[in-house]
Amino acid sequence: MRVANKSIYDSVQYNLGSISEELNKANEIATTGKSINNLSDDPVGLTQSLNIRSALSNIEQMGRNINYGNSWLTASESALTNVQNIISDTKALCVQMASGTIGSDQRVSAAVNIQNMLDEIVSLANTDVAGNYIFAGSKTDTIPFDQDGTYNGDNNPFTIKISQNSTIEVGSDGQAVFGTVFNTLVDLKAALQSNDVGGIQDGMDKLDTHFDDISGKISDVGSKMNRMEIKNNIFQDLNFSNTERLSKIEDADIAEAIMNVKAAELTYQAALASSSKVMTLTLVDYLQ
Amino acid sequence: MSGIGMVLNIATTALNAQQYGLGVTGQNIANVNTEGYSRQNPVLVAKQPLMYGGLLMGRGVDTEQVSRSSDQLIENKLMQEKSNMSSSSEMEKYMQVLESYFNENSGNSISTMLSDFWNRWYDISNNPSGTSERNSLYEQSALLSEQFNALSTDLIQIDADLTGAVNSGVEAINKITREIAQANDQIVSMEANSVANDLRDKRNSLVSELNEYMDVKAFEQSNGSLTIVGAKGCTLVQGNSSYDLEMGGANGDRVTWQDSAGSYVDITNYLSNGKLGGWLDMRDEILAKYKLDLDALAKEVIWSVNQQHSQGVGLEGFSSVTGEYAVTNSGSAITSSGLSYQDKVDDSSKTFKIWLFDNNGDPYDSDPVTTGLQGNPITITVTSGMTTDELVTAINNETGVQASLDSQNRLNISIDTGIATLGSLAFSDDDSNVLAAFGINTFFTGSGSGDMEVNDAIGLNKNFIAAAQVGSDGTMASGDNNNALAITELRSTSMSISQWTCDRINGNTQGSIISTLEDYYHSLVGSIGITSASVSRDRSFGEMMVNELSTIRDSISAVSLDEEMTNLIKFQHAYAAAAKLIGVSDEMLNTLLELK
Repeated sequence: MRVANKSIYDSVQYNLGSISEELNKANEIATTGKSINNLSDDPVGLTQSLNIRSALSNIEQMGRNINYGNSWLTASESALTNVQNIISDTKALCVQMASGTIGSDQRVSAAVNIQNMLDEIVSLANTDVAGNYIFAGSKTDTIPFDQDGTYNGDNNPFTIKISQNSTIEVGSDGQAVFGTVFNTLVDLKAALQSNDVGGIQDGMDKLDTHFDDISGKISDVGSKMNRMEIKNNIFQDLNFSNTERLSKIEDADIAEAIMNVKAAELTYQAALASSSKVMTLTLVDYLQ
Repeated sequence: MSGIGMVLNIATTALNAQQYGLGVTGQNIANVNTEGYSRQNPVLVAKQPLMYGGLLMGRGVDTEQVSRSSDQLIENKLMQEKSNMSSSSEMEKYMQVLESYFNENSGNSISTMLSDFWNRWYDISNNPSGTSERNSLYEQSALLSEQFNALSTDLIQIDADLTGAVNSGVEAINKITREIAQANDQIVSMEANSVANDLRDKRNSLVSELNEYMDVKAFEQSNGSLTIVGAKGCTLVQGNSSYDLEMGGANGDRVTWQDSAGSYVDITNYLSNGKLGGWLDMRDEILAKYKLDLDALAKEVIWSVNQQHSQGVGLEGFSSVTGEYAVTNSGSAITSSGLSYQDKVDDSSKTFKIWLFDNNGDPYDSDPVTTGLQGNPITITVTSGMTTDELVTAINNETGVQASLDSQNRLNISIDTGIATLGSLAFSDDDSNVLAAFGINTFFTGSGSGDMEVNDAIGLNKNFIAAAQVGSDGTMASGDNNNALAITELRSTSMSISQWTCDRINGNTQGSIISTLEDYYHSLVGSIGITSASVSRDRSFGEMMVNELSTIRDSISAVSLDEEMTNLIKFQHAYAAAAKLIGVSDEMLNTLLELK
């Protein structure tokens, strides 16, 4: 085929153009370390990576929710354990006070103790986490119990989300947890003041029930914390595997990227060398 | 005629012919880099012989014509491919711009912002009464809206740029067609004598340039003039007249052609190739689709959040609340009242509740006459075909609340200020979607990517962020997070979202897909990537085709310097030989004249 001068220049231009485009692409991947630098580089991979990123963002949020929930449950556990101890102390005091050797004066002064314990339990029932009362149902900004044990909260336990589809009650309906304890203590105090041994014994029985109730609540909190721990572990695994998948999709294999740059560079140099030869060839040089 | 005289004659014709040949070679060398130039060849023929001495004797050489090496079939094919390539090459440029706007590798992407938006709702669900959680949700929502607005502005800007490009393309086309008409005129008058090679090359170049802007068909008439016909059969050049294209249409963004009757024909949708075709494909098909899809997404984000938000209550109730969406006709059914979200209203006797609270925020007795109704809500039923005016009346018929339309035709609901003990009101259980459709107690305003904003009411008072729901006993609990939790559910809720197909010939068709908001956006971005990759492939294929065809065209028509140098020597030697012939004849004549 006849080759015109223009053809030689045009094809040098076209070929150098496409090789340098290749070189540029290879270089972009090697220098950014990313295999997707534009949407069009790998639209399918990009969509996947967007999905993974959003999953990661959600996992991170769930981690935050779980931490937040844990702070509530920890506060709840510690308050309940203290209440349980107080109940147990009260029980011990009552055992002592129910004894026939105790005089009415001692009982009356023990009533002051009971009042202190009552105050202590009210204060524990008003436990808050960063200003939010954990035993107020959903009225988390209202002090749940007045000094006399009147409940101001509601009966919808405060709930948070620990995964897309599951929620967990981290707060409690304070009335359900403490309401009867207050009644018992108020009754006990009255019985001590009036030197009513029968009343004291009634109170002791009720304290046993309360002790068991609170124990149940504590183990309930414990099992919730356990559940959160398991969720947290699952999220950590998910976080790890998703991060790895994201890296597989987005990150360039550096060795391969460098090899590609080298290969493109070599092709480019060869093209430059042969082009410069071909372009200078002309019959004119050989004519005198 | 004497023999020597004849030899001299022959030598003269030879000198002339070889000199002409050198001239043509010179012309070829001079045009070695001229785009569209076809190399020329002198066609030498032996002159008609004469009878001499009983024999036929040659009379020398004649340059019959200068022919042009060109293959119109290849030229046409090349023009067509160039037209295709310029189309995809222009589209590629704009696709790269479009792509960069949706580049998700930055932290400022809608995807990240949408995730963060849901996360801020989770934060509120963790701490519903927290001020900092409310503030940061507001900031995040404002950022998300602004990002939608910015994208919308960017897309509108690309649209305007494309119209500008089409406009300048139309000007370029008009200039080219005028020049072709001129060339036609010159060719017709010159070709009375011989073929006008260089003018034809020039005209071919012009047609080729025209093809880069739009696809045209060229027919050569018997007199040598070229008739150019463009999209939809509009004649652009006939003889020595050209017919201009003009920008027209209501927005000045359509390409029109004036027909012989003087009326304008819109040919926009029929321009399928060349730069113009590329720009219009980009503007009216690709960009148009993504603009509509982005709007559809924003519309659904706004609606789904608003719909859930309007079911809830913030840390305080409203003493008076005005909707964000206006009706155009308060006398027609709400479902056709001109509300942005009128189609979402369900008027099959669905209801919503209004709760009243006293000055302390405690449930108010909605019916002071009948006792025992403390904490009972007012229930409004949206009956079939109910008009806005009827809704206003229905609300006004209840004790403790007042409704009216403001000067902008937006619904206002407020407590009856005549009752001193009445403090505020709140809403719940809206199955009719009327509240969200009127924009009452909503989170966002607007109905597309361009006008999406956080409701001003929330911007001014973050307590109106409705994280809670009114309890069944009519109480508001600031720690209640039920509505916030319901809003976080939207993140993974699949909903029906419009998806558009834009076609210049068949128009824009609205379909819909069932998807989560996030997935919709992700597939939108993926689709832009796929379109962009395919446009790039088209461009690179077109470039290859043009390159191949150019090589073929050039092998026929372009100048080879080596060849011309050979010709140069060929003509030079022939010229020298002819000169020698004159010298020999001269000597022969001298010999004769010297005879004594």
